[in-house]
Amino acid sequence: MRLKIPLIIFIFWFETFLFAAEAGMPQLDSEYWFSQSFWLVLIFLVLYLSLSKFFIPKIKNNLDDRENRINENLDEAKEFSELAEKKNLEYIKEMSNAKKDVTKIISESKKQLDKNINQKKIEFDKELEKEINKAEKEILDLKKGSKEKVNKIAEEVSSKIIENLTGEKLNDSSIKASVEEISKNRIGKYL
Amino acid sequence: MAANPMHQFQVYRLGPEIKLGNIDLSFTNASLFMLISALTICLFLFFGSKQKNIIPGRLQLIAEMFYNFISKMISDTAGSKAKPYFPFIFTLFMFVLLCNMIGMLPYSFTVTSHIIVTLVMALFIFIAVTVIGFLKHGFKYLSIFVPKGVPVVLLPLITIIEIISYLSRPVSLSVRLFANMMAGHTMLKVFGSFVISLGLLGGWLPLTFSVALTGLEILVAFLQAYVFAILTCIYLNDALNLHH
Repeated sequence: MRLKIPLIIFIFWFETFLFAAEAGMPQLDSEYWFSQSFWLVLIFLVLYLSLSKFFIPKIKNNLDDRENRINENLDEAKEFSELAEKKNLEYIKEMSNAKKDVTKIISESKKQLDKNINQKKIEFDKELEKEINKAEKEILDLKKGSKEKVNKIAEEVSSKIIENLTGEKLNDSSIKASVEEISKNRIGKYL
Repeated sequence: MAANPMHQFQVYRLGPEIKLGNIDLSFTNASLFMLISALTICLFLFFGSKQKNIIPGRLQLIAEMFYNFISKMISDTAGSKAKPYFPFIFTLFMFVLLCNMIGMLPYSFTVTSHIIVTLVMALFIFIAVTVIGFLKHGFKYLSIFVPKGVPVVLLPLITIIEIISYLSRPVSLSVRLFANMMAGHTMLKVFGSFVISLGLLGGWLPLTFSVALTGLEILVAFLQAYVFAILTCIYLNDALNLHH
């Protein structure tokens, strides 16, 4: 610290001494004023001409090109998005139409199916009734025929039995009458 | 040794002496740095506009940023009528900015730290703006000295003040840039020369301060170029659009 302070004082003194040696503002020395003005005007003029004739139009072109390109792209994008919107609407329309068609087809086929089923059922019912009727009639016929046959067999059997027992031939009509009478009373039990 | 903070502003001849009659037009270090600035601008804009990429590269982006920056500044302050003057203001801004910035390099020369340079530019702008004003509006241009809505009693005084302020435009414009540049660079130099001696006491602090000051000076370099350009736009606006 003891050494530092004299050192600082010495450096300050040295610097002031140097400053004093070359005092004043070189800016106010008019020796090169004309030279500076001349070169300034010359260089500035050349710079101005080269910038205004060459560089600025080039930069402007670049910027304009970019802007045009961006605008074009934006327009294109807008067009495409409109197209997409349109297509989407079309798609939605198609879809709703298709849905309508589907429901229509479903209901129609259902109706058709119902109709068919009904018709088939009716036909089948008719057929069934017919068959049943036929069967009933057959049964009835069979019933009727069997009764007569049974009666006839009974008559024959009874006339044969009586003939064998008595040796006499009885009147057929009387036998028939008695058989009929018995069968009338008893037949209900079996047929 | 260049310990004098003013030594950096010294102009000296490079190469042979060029004389036109009695006038010395020699190529100096100031001319050299003007040339370097101009060439840097040209190189920068050349590489910034060489490729016509839709997605710009770094240089192209910066060049277009400057273009848009100046374009917006002009349309904001002077309106659409000032569009023909865009190349001039763009050149002016780029030139002042590059002169300031190249002046920030160590051992270089700051062109804009000379009053004669800034004065020539400011005078040119002042005369051009005045001529444009008279060409556009004729003698009606003088009405900018008579503001509207001022009481009649105050009118003579206001008019005199307006005239003085109008005439002092080139002085204020040139001195602002010159003084900022000169003061900034002198300050950098002075603080720079104290870094070692004060560093014995304060350690790294003086160096840190010097670095921070350099950052500030870079900001000032940009800001002064911007101020120079925007004031030109404002003067142009006064000349183009009469009512303010």
